[in-house]
Amino acid sequence: MAEAALRLDGVTSGYGEAMVLRDVSLTLLPGEILTVLGKNGMGKSTLLKTIMGFLPPREGRVHIHGRDVTRLPPHRRAGGSVSYSPQDQAIFQDLTVGENLRLGLRSDRGAAAAVERVTAFFPFLAQRGRQPAGTLSGGEQKMLIMARALLSNPRLLLIDEISEGLQPSVILRLAEVLRRECAARELTILIIEQNLRFALSVASRYAVLVRGEIVDGGRVAPGVEARIQDHLAV
Amino acid sequence: MIDLFLDIVTTAGILYVVAVGLLVVFGVLKIINFAHGGFLTIGGYAALITTELHLSPWVAPPLALVVGIVLGMVVERLIVRPLYSRPLDAILATWGLSIVVVQLITIGFGRGTQFVMSPLQGAVPLLGTSYSLYRLAMLATALIIGAAIAAILQGTRLGLTARAVIMNETLAQSLGINSALVRFVTFSVGAGLATMAGALITPLLSIDPLMGVPWLLNAFMLVMVSGTSLVSLALASLVLGGAQVVVSTYGNPILGALTIVVLAALLLRVRPAGFARA
Repeated sequence: MAEAALRLDGVTSGYGEAMVLRDVSLTLLPGEILTVLGKNGMGKSTLLKTIMGFLPPREGRVHIHGRDVTRLPPHRRAGGSVSYSPQDQAIFQDLTVGENLRLGLRSDRGAAAAVERVTAFFPFLAQRGRQPAGTLSGGEQKMLIMARALLSNPRLLLIDEISEGLQPSVILRLAEVLRRECAARELTILIIEQNLRFALSVASRYAVLVRGEIVDGGRVAPGVEARIQDHLAV
Repeated sequence: MIDLFLDIVTTAGILYVVAVGLLVVFGVLKIINFAHGGFLTIGGYAALITTELHLSPWVAPPLALVVGIVLGMVVERLIVRPLYSRPLDAILATWGLSIVVVQLITIGFGRGTQFVMSPLQGAVPLLGTSYSLYRLAMLATALIIGAAIAAILQGTRLGLTARAVIMNETLAQSLGINSALVRFVTFSVGAGLATMAGALITPLLSIDPLMGVPWLLNAFMLVMVSGTSLVSLALASLVLGGAQVVVSTYGNPILGALTIVVLAALLLRVRPAGFARA
């Protein structure tokens, strides 16, 4: 069996005294796309913050590509081939599009080729390099976030509600890019979503988070949408 | 009138040189380094030591810069870094450090007033008048320092990562930027700029263990009305420094010394963003 790209063992985490995640365990194999679904306040974003090291787990361990990263600071996890797209304030508004993209790379060496590769997914970025990122539309900003996340050739990509507030055409584009990257180079993706249709169109597996606990999960298959809807309706 | 104009622009240059290190630290670390006055004083005494050792006065600013950077590294690692999660305590700790610096300098050099050699003597003819060559050199120094910092911030990857940390430290960390290293480098450079400023201003005034206090007060108010912008700091230095010169020249030098503090406080009351973009 291949070494897991991401493994959480009994992770409990939260803010101060309030525990938001309770005893969460999950495993992602290389090339898998897992979507974690749940209503607001169920701990989805907390899960990603804990994986990235912004919230130290109260209990449990986090392993990335076989390495125990539970005590590593966020920048060292990100430096180790993990890309994270947070839900809020995910771009530097006052920096240009080009500068935002440069920050997705670990160094400027080979930057031109890397930028060319990701701007092939979203061609408008190549023409708007000098534009302040904060002046892009909401959909364009999400595409910039996605391009920046893919720039460093991550092996694990963590995405928090990328589809929120987007037009269907942009959502379709993002889904297509994620599937293509995953197939092309065995990229592992954990995607937090409320948009069930988008999530299931991308993911190979799902997990449902309710009050900080994973209450359901499995492979994405016909009929699974109704089952998940039952959890989300509770 | 030409003399007044030259006094205003050179005073602005001097204030910019004194305050820029404080602004750099505030921009990245989000704390006011109240040891800035202490570092300034250390720079002044570095210049005094070069004078007493009969070294060239040109040695003083680079010597002070190196001393400041090394001291800044030590202070950041031992005093400031453990307090990043408690910004108020970090500010108080730097205030306490400035008191320690004053006391140590008093023990080492005494309370007396002392003077250093100036690397540039005399006056030069300019715009139909004769004006202090050293004050003009300070204006040029301010422009060079401002241009150098702007070039680093806008033209290098280090500058880009520093700007990213200033704008959103959490996002910067999630992109693999070691914000602790950025803070370390920034604090050390800020301390070095302060000590260098101390060495640069000493030919214009006397040296004593408390020389940093009035400069700290003015630098603090200039940074408060400038936010994290180098351009805003230049504008604030010109406007408030200019007002100081006018009040000192046509009114009273004691009132002049209060001008920057009073005007900055009034400005913040009317426009909380000060000279910075709101």
